[in-house]
Order: sequence, then structure tokens, then C-alpha cells
Amino acid sequence: MDNGFRSLHPFVIFLYYVLAIAMIMLYQHPFFLTFACLLLVIFNFALDQGKMLKKWVSMMIVLSLLFLILTPLTNHRGNHVLFYLFNSAITLEALIQGLLNALTLIAILTLTITFNYCMTADKFLFLFSKWMPKWSLLAMLSVRFVPLLNRRIVEIITVQKGKGLSVTSGPLKQRVKHGLLLVQVLLTWSLEDGIQTADSMSARAYGLQKRTKYTPYKLHMNDGFMILILTGLTGTGIFGWWLGDGVLTLTPFLEPTILYGREWVFFTIYVLIIGFPLIVEGKEAIQWQYWKR
Amino acid sequence: MAILETVKVSFTYPDQLLPALNQVSFSVEPGEFIVICGPSGSGKSTLLRMVKQEIAPYGERSGEIFYNGKKLTEYEPVKIAKEIGMVFQDPENQIVMDRVFEELIFGLENIGMPTETMRTKLAEMVHFFGINHLLDKKIHLLSGGQKQIVNLASVLLMEPRILLLDEPTAQLDPVAAKDFLHMVKQMNDEFGITVLIVEHRLEEVFPLADRVFVFDHGSLKISGPPKDVIAKVWQEQYRPLFPYLPSTALLYLEHADNLQIADIPLTVKEGRKWASQLKTHQSDTSFKKQENYNEKQNPILQVKNIYFQYEKTGKKILQSLSLTINEGEWLTIVGANGTGKSTLLKVMAGLESPQRGKLIYNGKKYSKPISTDIAYLPQNPKLLFIQDTVRGELIETAQQFHLENYEEKINCLVELLGIQSILDRHPYDVSGGEMQKSALACVLLPQPKILLLDEPTKGLDPEMKVALGKWLKSMQSRGLTIVMVTHDIEFAARFSDRSAMMFQGEITVTTSTKDFFKGNAFYTTVVNRMTRDGNIPEVVTVEEAEEKWGSQKIKN
Amino acid sequence: MGFSENQKLKKQKYKNLLIAGLLILLAVLLIFVPLLVEEQYMLASILFMVCSFFPLMIKYEHKKVTSKELVLIAILGAIAAVSRVPFASIPSVQPTTFVIIMAGAVFGAESGFVVGALAAIVSNIFLGQGPWTPWQMYAWGMVGFAAGLLKNTWVMKSSVGRSIFGFITGFLFGWFMNLWVVLTLMNSFNWAQFIGFYTASFYFDLAHALSNVFFLLVFSQSWLKILKRFQKKYGLLTAYG
Repeated sequence: MDNGFRSLHPFVIFLYYVLAIAMIMLYQHPFFLTFACLLLVIFNFALDQGKMLKKWVSMMIVLSLLFLILTPLTNHRGNHVLFYLFNSAITLEALIQGLLNALTLIAILTLTITFNYCMTADKFLFLFSKWMPKWSLLAMLSVRFVPLLNRRIVEIITVQKGKGLSVTSGPLKQRVKHGLLLVQVLLTWSLEDGIQTADSMSARAYGLQKRTKYTPYKLHMNDGFMILILTGLTGTGIFGWWLGDGVLTLTPFLEPTILYGREWVFFTIYVLIIGFPLIVEGKEAIQWQYWKR
Repeated sequence: MAILETVKVSFTYPDQLLPALNQVSFSVEPGEFIVICGPSGSGKSTLLRMVKQEIAPYGERSGEIFYNGKKLTEYEPVKIAKEIGMVFQDPENQIVMDRVFEELIFGLENIGMPTETMRTKLAEMVHFFGINHLLDKKIHLLSGGQKQIVNLASVLLMEPRILLLDEPTAQLDPVAAKDFLHMVKQMNDEFGITVLIVEHRLEEVFPLADRVFVFDHGSLKISGPPKDVIAKVWQEQYRPLFPYLPSTALLYLEHADNLQIADIPLTVKEGRKWASQLKTHQSDTSFKKQENYNEKQNPILQVKNIYFQYEKTGKKILQSLSLTINEGEWLTIVGANGTGKSTLLKVMAGLESPQRGKLIYNGKKYSKPISTDIAYLPQNPKLLFIQDTVRGELIETAQQFHLENYEEKINCLVELLGIQSILDRHPYDVSGGEMQKSALACVLLPQPKILLLDEPTKGLDPEMKVALGKWLKSMQSRGLTIVMVTHDIEFAARFSDRSAMMFQGEITVTTSTKDFFKGNAFYTTVVNRMTRDGNIPEVVTVEEAEEKWGSQKIKN
Repeated sequence: MGFSENQKLKKQKYKNLLIAGLLILLAVLLIFVPLLVEEQYMLASILFMVCSFFPLMIKYEHKKVTSKELVLIAILGAIAAVSRVPFASIPSVQPTTFVIIMAGAVFGAESGFVVGALAAIVSNIFLGQGPWTPWQMYAWGMVGFAAGLLKNTWVMKSSVGRSIFGFITGFLFGWFMNLWVVLTLMNSFNWAQFIGFYTASFYFDLAHALSNVFFLLVFSQSWLKILKRFQKKYGLLTAYG
């Protein structure tokens, strides 16, 4: 069974991700974004020791570097000219803007990785089965076929090797051609066998009347409480953004990066929202410690 | 009142001249266990599909089917879909969902059951089947046998009154098949569910049956209690149906002097009782003469000290395995599921490269497929076909191997296999036996010296099995060396020369097939279990008995 | 075939052309309006997307679909996702778009759309969901939809037409996929950055477009034949488009 953040109702989990993305996109401030990235990296490590994160790290670096370089080259607004490159001004403002862009992308991507970990396919499809039962059934069917088709294609690759259809050696054109020939075998085989799957569905009364959907998740008191907290916090957060806090003003005048007075309040709320799963996990860990004694 | 009754049911598929079902009438009482047998294409599956109306085939139909005295069509469709359940042949293809849990409740969701009721029903069923540990598993991690049990449970959750089973164990290994049939019988015994099962594992299902229906060419030829049916097939000399009789009964029928219907043995226990009365009328020495397995000792392929695993950290599949294959022999490799039999075959075909060890063919080392000399026929022939006609496939294969005057070779092979009539059809549109023959034609086209077969009898009916065995035997006499991996011990016992047992990635025993099975206590044929430790020479197959006992005038 | 039947066909053809025209207009607007209406571009483009995407999704949701149709679509979606496997050793070549085009070209616009959108959901379930999922669904869904709309026209009937279609969709797909980044950074995005970002992805998109063309040139005949065979075998999906 899942525990901690993952044991919450899928709707709560989904809500967290929507709100967290909104917060990341609204609060364009290096201090806020750096903290968000930090919290999310910790969250990643809490979930799987950062295994998934490692797989994505190269994509993150490429994307953030791209914007770190691209933005100062394309954006010339701002008063603080650092130097000139090919007759165009590279400004501090643009550099900071590039940094903000890069941080936003990193934050979103680290958040996405945890999303895939916490929001498993069946939770995800469960959420949509309420509004779109047919799409979710279709997706489930398709998801069921993927491991089966995967095993088949591996088998086809192995056996067709005997007939000289290799995808690993030979000229590129031929390899690509062989690759699709193998997919073609998979297509014919799977569509042929699919008729049996359809029969088995019909034999179990599919399509004769309106389907119900088994509901594996119940919305507990605790979940309701969490929804309340999350929406309350985000409401306040959006109010703060509307006030102009937590957004670094670049033009016409560059604002200092250091937080002042009221901004610390909204920063705390921001941390509470982004770090919400960590708080839930932490609370549970402490409770366990207590129970053990 | 009969729970199911058919009155002169006929059916013809579109574009077909002959009917698939011809005036079939029968009635089934509640709680009966009916076994339906007969050759492929005799209309058995069509009959089940006519009864299961949601998947009834399209075509021309006549006659009526009654369920509890009312026409099927007069019922509410949902009610009838619930009360007549069906399990199909392929365990994999009938699964719809990703996890066991969702698969089980799929039918219940379709009939609009609320979540709470589903939970209760599921809890009951899981308890009864003892599949609690499977509930949260992903389907693709289950074995074939487990999948089929899930399919059965999923149908039973809808509380059917009639259970239709279309060759449900054809794709399973013998142990899983036994478990599955045992569960079906339990449902029949303890809940009175009426069962209609199409099955080729005759030794297993005949003892369970209340009545047996024998189909041939679309009509119900014989029906009645199993022993009566067997006697009738025998007395009226329905030769083509002989392969459909259990071997216990065949042995009795061929060697008993005084045929008593009640004495026809269906189980090994009954068979042993009869066999214990048999006496030989000649001296002991004459039949002690050991059959000399002709060991030509000319190794053609050698596997030396092979180690294999799929992943670096994965399980070791093959471990220090060595095996020598002699020219012109037919070697069978048996063993439980997961012992690495299929992998060994792939390694020998050069399709998988072992981490350690050597493969030697005709004195030369090899590590890549040499399909012109070593042919490999996979368990599922479907994955061989690329072209959309059998002919196209053959021509393409010939070109792939750069064969000279291939047309002649193709014609010759096609004639040998008797597949002239299907050359212009799609390889998927022909029957299972024909598909296998087409695949055989493809792999044998370059005239290889060795043929590697993975479970060649899976899904074939008894008649096709015999035909395949005889055909392979004839190819063997033309110099083909055959290596076969199988669970089908009856087939192996009848046709192969030498047998090897695999266990934990190693070969444990290799000896002549007859000695192999006579030496095994559990892993042996029904006939052998029936005749061992008696006063008569121990035999492994009905054919062997004919040969040995016939000459020695065994009597009771 | 009666007169009314003929007229109906003609009407259907006009309707399809109209939809196709609208769709192209939409795509053009979707790409270029953001650049013109600099202030509200994200809002505007999301509006366009919602208007074209959700009606199609909802329409399918309420359609009565037989188990055979459902299984066929699900398998095609899964094939589109799994088809990357044999190409693991060949970077930036994968036939997913080709599979979707073929599905649309045989089974019609609606089925093409569903296969495309489904392929995106399913492949992301295994490769990782993210902010790009909806864009990918939209992009592949529209590729299938367009292929379906054009199934009886010169574009899908000739191999030149198909190649052009594959080439264009290769690029369009990449552009749509990039939109998730644009959306994420919408507060600060500008023209030049936009162009810069899209140039950076040019080679990937080119590889995609060229592999589409290759697949369509070499394999579309045999795939059309196979899919049509199953269309008959499953006895379905002939009525639309």
C-alpha cells in the first residue's frame, strides 16, 4: 500500500500539482524559484532517492542552458548593460530573465517527475473516468496491450533475426526498413488476436447497458481537510501575487533580489504549498517514530 | 426441464458451401458436465458461439436454441449474457485490463453493479479461488495458467448458470491444465453450474464427463455417457475419430477379449485394475529383449558448457549446459515451465548469444543464426509471416536466402506438406494446422539439416498431432535431424527417439525415449502408468503395446 | 446508387473540405496569432485549442462504440507507442506519427483523432507524463484527424501527396510539442526568443519529417492493405468520412 502523500485521494494529489504549477508560474522571483527547485529535489529524493531525477537531468540541463543563453541574446531591454556582443547589448535584466526561465523549467520538470511517481496510471485514469468513462476505458485497454505488445515485438525481433531482418547492423536505410517491417508483423499479429479480446469483452456483457465504474478511492475527512488547506493557501498566494509580491520587477527599474517585510509572509505560504507533500510525509514519519516508542 | 436445448440448429458461414453446423439437436439438464469433442472444423466452436449469442457468428442460421424453456432471443440481453458465461482458448487474448483486480470486475462493471456489491462478490470469489496474492498484480507478470484461472474467475463472478469453455487448456502446460480442469469440476460439483467444454485433453476430461458429444462435419454424431460413446465409436469403426478416444480406453479396446462397456477404463486407476488381470503366455525372456536404440553416434550439433541469462543482474537461465545432437535423430527436451527449454532452443538456433560456452555445428563454431542449416520454428508461427499470402511468404523467404531455382523447391515442399490449396490465402486465415505447415514450409525451404521445434503440438487437435508426427518422421527418414521442446509427453513418447530432461538450466537425463519414460515415476505417459509393475511387458504408448503385446498373445 | 445517394456523397465531400479548410486555418492561426497578439497570445491559442479539441473528445465519449472498434483503436494506440522499440538503436527515428497517419487514412477522421490522442496518453504513461501531454495529444490527434479528412482526396491517395503530408506534419507536430515550454514561460516570452527556441529544435523536427516521408513512401501501400483487411474482418468503421 502507498503511504504518506501517495495515500491521499487522487483528487488531492492532482489538485496539489495544478496549484503547484500555478505557483511556480506566477512567482517569477529567483529567490522563490530557487527554493521551489530545492524543495522539489528533496521531494524527489524522499520518494526514490532521486533515481528518476537522474534520468531526466540531461534534458533539464539542455533546456535550461538553452534559455539561459537564448534569452540574453534575444532580449535587449533593461538599463544595466553588461557588454556588447555583435553590436547588441547584453543586459543584466535579460540575464536575470534567462535565469528565471531556466529555473521555472527546472522546477516544472522536477515537479513532473514526482507527478509520475505519485500519480500512477490507474489513479490518473480513475480521475478521468468520472468525466470521460469511455476515454479512460480506452486508455486502460491500450495500457494493458503495451506490455503484451512489447513482449511480442521482442520475440519478433529475435525470431526474425534468423531470417536476416536486423535492426542493429547494415546501412541505415535498411535498418529503418527492417524496423518497420517488424512493427508490421506486430500489427498483423496483434490485430488478428485482438478479435478474441473483443469477443471476450462482449461475452462479459460489454456494451449492453451503461457501465458503472468501480471506485477504489474514498474521499476521507482527512482528504477534505487537505483540500481546504491547499486551496486556502493558494488563494492567499494568488492574492500576494496580485499585490505584486514575489515577482521580481525587471523593467523599467530592476528591483533588488532581497525580500522585504510582507514578501516573507508570502514566501512562507509559497514554501508551504510547494513543500506540501514533504510536510505530509514528514508528519507521517514523526507519527511512526512516536508509535514505535 | 432442460436448461439448454437446441432444435435442428444449422449454420453456414458467408461464402461457404457446406454448413458449419447441420441440424444439431440436443438437450442438457441442469448441472450436467458435457464434453464436446471431434476434429477441428467439425463445428464445436461454432456451436458454443451460437449459444453465446453476444458473439454469435454472422451467417445463415436456422433452428432454435432454448434456455430454460424460452428462446434465447426472448430474454433480456444482459440477463442472458450474465447467465451463460464463456471462457476461450487463449489465456492472454481474452484479458482486457492491466491488473488482475480490474480484470475480475470488468464484467460486473458492464452490468452496472455498484461498487459495494462488487466488493462483496469479489471478496467471496477471491477467497474461494485462493487468488488473494494475485489481486494487485499486473496481468503480464502472471503465468499462462494463472491468467486462465483469472479468466475463469472473472466469468464466474457474473454468476453464470451455464459455463461454456472452448479448449480452455490448449495453451497451458499439463500441470496448469490439470489445475484449471479441477477448478471447473469443482464449480460443477459444488455449485451445480452446467458445463459444456470443448477439449482435446481426453485423458483428463473423459472421467469428469456426465455425457460426451462427438461432432464430425457439423453434425452431432454420437452422444451419451463417456463409456457408451467410446464403445460406439469403436464398434461402428469411426476410424477418423479413434484419435479422439482416451489412450486408456484405446489400450483396453485393442487388447481386451471380452468387451464390457462398464469395464472400459477412463482413469489410470481403472486401467491398472484391468491391466493387472492380464497375463503373458510366453516365457519372460523373449520380451526382455531390449529394443536397440540405434545410436549412430555421429554428432552434428554440440552444445558445450553454455551459460545464459537475459539480463546482467537477472536469473541464470542456462547453467553449464552440454548436449550433443546426433545426425538423423529426433531428440525431445522436456521439463517444467521456466527451466529454460525454449531459451536453449533459441541459443541453438543462434538467435540468442550465450555469455559463456561453445556451439559447434558440423565441427565448426557458430554464434549467429545459420538458417540455411539450422531451422527454427517458434511456438507461435504467426510471428514468422510478413507477406499476405503463403506463396508470397515462400517466395520472399527463398529470395532472402538467395536460393537457386526456388520455384521447384517450393513446389516440392508444398506437395510434401499438402498445402497446395492454401497457397494464395493469407497465412492468418488458414486453420491452425495449416498455418503450422506453412511455417514449416518456410523454415524448411533452404533444406536445413536440423529442425528446432518449440512446442509444435500446442493447440493442435489429436488427429493433426498424429499427422504432424508422421510427417516429421518421414522427413527424418530423409535425413532431417529434429530437436523438439515440448510438454506433450504422449507425442514425444510416440515419435521421438531420444529424450532429455531439463531442470534448473541443466540437462539431467538423456536416454532413449522408451527407457526415459519407463524410468520416470511421474513424468510419463498414461499408458505407461497403466501398465507398469504388472505381469505384462511395460509399454509407453498404445502403438508400442500393439507391437509388443500383439506378438505375445496377451490375454486376460 | 440513387440520385439522393450521390448528392449525399457530394454533400459529405463538401463538408469534409469545409472542415479541412477550417482546420488548416485554425492551425495557421494557432501558430501565428500568438506572435501577432503579443499580449494575449497564450490565452488566444488555448482558446483555439479548446474549441477544436474538446468537442472531438466529447463527441467520441458519447458515441456508441462496439467492443471490436474499441479494441482496434486501443491496439493501434498501443502499437503507435510500442513501435519505438525496434528503433531504440536508431536515434530520432520513430514511426508513431506514421502509424497514426495510416489509422486516420483507413478508419477516418474521428478514429484517426482518437488513435493519435490515445497514443500520446499511453506512451506518456510509460515514458512520463508532463505538461507536454495535452499538447502531444492535440498534435497527434490532429495529425490523425487531418489524415482522416483527406483520406479520399489526392493527398492521401497518391504517394507524393502522402509524402508532403508526412513532411508537413513532422514539423507541425514538433512545433505544437514545443508549445508547453512557451506556455510555461508565457510571462516573459517574446518574438525573438520564440524563433530562437524553434530553430534549436529544427533538426529534430527535420528528422521526424524525413522519417515520416520515408515510412510513407516505402510502407504506406502495405499498411493500407493490412488495415483495410482488418477493417473488413472487424466489420466496422466504414461509415465515417
